[in-house]
Amino acid sequence: MVGGDVSEGTAPVVEIAGLGKRYGRTLALDGIDLSIGRNEVFALLGPNGAGKTTLIHILCTLLKPDTGTARIAGFDVSRQPLKARRQLGVVFQEPSLDSRLTVQENLNFHGLVHRVPFRLRRRRITEMLELVELTEWRHALVRTLSAGMKRRVEIARALIHDAAVVILDEPTVGLDAQSRERIWAYLGKLRRERELTLIVTTHYIDEVDSCDRVCIVDHGKILALDTPEALRARYGVEQVRITPRDLATRTGIMEQNPNAIAEASGDIVLPGATHGVVDRLLGGFGTGISNISIERPSLESVFLTLTGREIRDQAAERPTLARPNARTGEPVN
Amino acid sequence: MLGALGGIYAIWLREVKRAIRDRGQFIGGLSRPLVWVLILGIGLNPYFRAEIYGDVRFVVPYTYLQFLFPAVIVLNVMYTGVQSAVSMIWDREFGFLKEVLTSPMPRSHILFGKILGGATVAFAHGCLVLLIAQFTDVSLRMTDLYLGLLLMFGLGFGLTCVGAVIANRIRSFEGFGVFSNVVILPLYFTSSSIFPLNPALSGSQTRVVYPEWLVAVIKANPVTYAVDALRGVFIGFNQFDPGIGPVVIAAIAIVGFAVALFDFSRQS
Repeated sequence: MVGGDVSEGTAPVVEIAGLGKRYGRTLALDGIDLSIGRNEVFALLGPNGAGKTTLIHILCTLLKPDTGTARIAGFDVSRQPLKARRQLGVVFQEPSLDSRLTVQENLNFHGLVHRVPFRLRRRRITEMLELVELTEWRHALVRTLSAGMKRRVEIARALIHDAAVVILDEPTVGLDAQSRERIWAYLGKLRRERELTLIVTTHYIDEVDSCDRVCIVDHGKILALDTPEALRARYGVEQVRITPRDLATRTGIMEQNPNAIAEASGDIVLPGATHGVVDRLLGGFGTGISNISIERPSLESVFLTLTGREIRDQAAERPTLARPNARTGEPVN
Repeated sequence: MLGALGGIYAIWLREVKRAIRDRGQFIGGLSRPLVWVLILGIGLNPYFRAEIYGDVRFVVPYTYLQFLFPAVIVLNVMYTGVQSAVSMIWDREFGFLKEVLTSPMPRSHILFGKILGGATVAFAHGCLVLLIAQFTDVSLRMTDLYLGLLLMFGLGFGLTCVGAVIANRIRSFEGFGVFSNVVILPLYFTSSSIFPLNPALSGSQTRVVYPEWLVAVIKANPVTYAVDALRGVFIGFNQFDPGIGPVVIAAIAIVGFAVALFDFSRQS
């Protein structure tokens, strides 16, 4: 483990040791060790091809690891898959509802295959539809719902049975800002009401801030694992933002600092800031600068430092990826 | 145990609900027997009799319509059974399969529920053909009907398994469309469905026999015996030993399910 302990010293509910998976020549997972505690909100962050989806598929028992073990609530995912699945709720990246059935029918189907007794099933369906604010849509065919509503149905569905761990693979991908916010609000509410471990992958870095711990993976390895604050303190880079008054100052600063980034707004951002840099800039350009500030490190910069890549670059192409190749079961991303 | 049944019930119910809501499938299941029985059957009916010493005799001791009727039941069951495998491709393509695969149901239960659902729909489509029985002069007696329905359900189960095996080997809708036409129609035509195996009736006709290769293909085709079994039950005409048909139907169901289960467990 790279850093960060299981929160509050409770027994871990997810234990992963030496997990490895190889597709031909590509090493998708390279000896992952991880443990996730009860009631924790755990974020998995990584660029495309980092191994996130492979890791998720192994945890969901859809894929067998080559080496190592993964346990969900004490059950080994490759040796006791049925017992492990009973502890799992999953929201997949691609929609997995039956669009020809109604919302209620989809949820009831889930309850039946997860052996939820009739009374509890009926109660849970009502409760979960209330949670995701879809009570009036109960008898609507799923294909008549919007993408955001479908995703909410899937979240409700993963919670019909008593799962100890709920895995959400990119639950907010492709949704508008309002829907994304709502989904996080539901998850927050849920966490206060029910003892539940949430494992979330996302590439919206701002969403990760509310999680207990963040795990950054790349090339099948864990690069960093800690609370968002600790990650910022350790890997984040402070930067100086300068607003020049005129063009001459702007070119002057750019010439003096080859690593400076000129933004479209006219601002200049200088990574790796110290107070010395500010003093030097003020001394050199003085009144040519209308505003200068030191910005707190963002998780974006943490990600950039660790992986050398911008996470935002991938956003546009994201939704079509990570569909497992049907023939080999190999995730494409 | 009861919980396991609940899961199988859920998967079965989903198949049946989807079929009921799919109007296109229903129209196909109704129009197919109408076309085959009313147009082909009535059209060819006059040609399947010969005049012998002034008597009008049929090639087989029944009218062509009666002869064709049990085969059309098999055709309808076969189409629906094999096509229900399309929904397996759908499930894989549109992610629903993952929802089932991450549930605590064993793979065998999942497949069993799925095939039971497909078999139910195929069976129902076979029953649609029974509705036009009176237009073909086939009288359905209750005792025969029970046996006939049992055979139809068994056949529906077996052919849905065959569909599942095919669906596991091909991965796209387009592939399946071609395959089903390449599989269903040849199997149907070489099952002695639309002509009897022995064309000989009178002395002059004994010399007109079918080529050996065709007879061999017909005899090797398991669907031949399914058609023969239903013909035995519904019109009392068998070209083979009446005991063979039910055994072949049971064998298709058992072997088909075993192969489908092997494929399904290996892949997921």
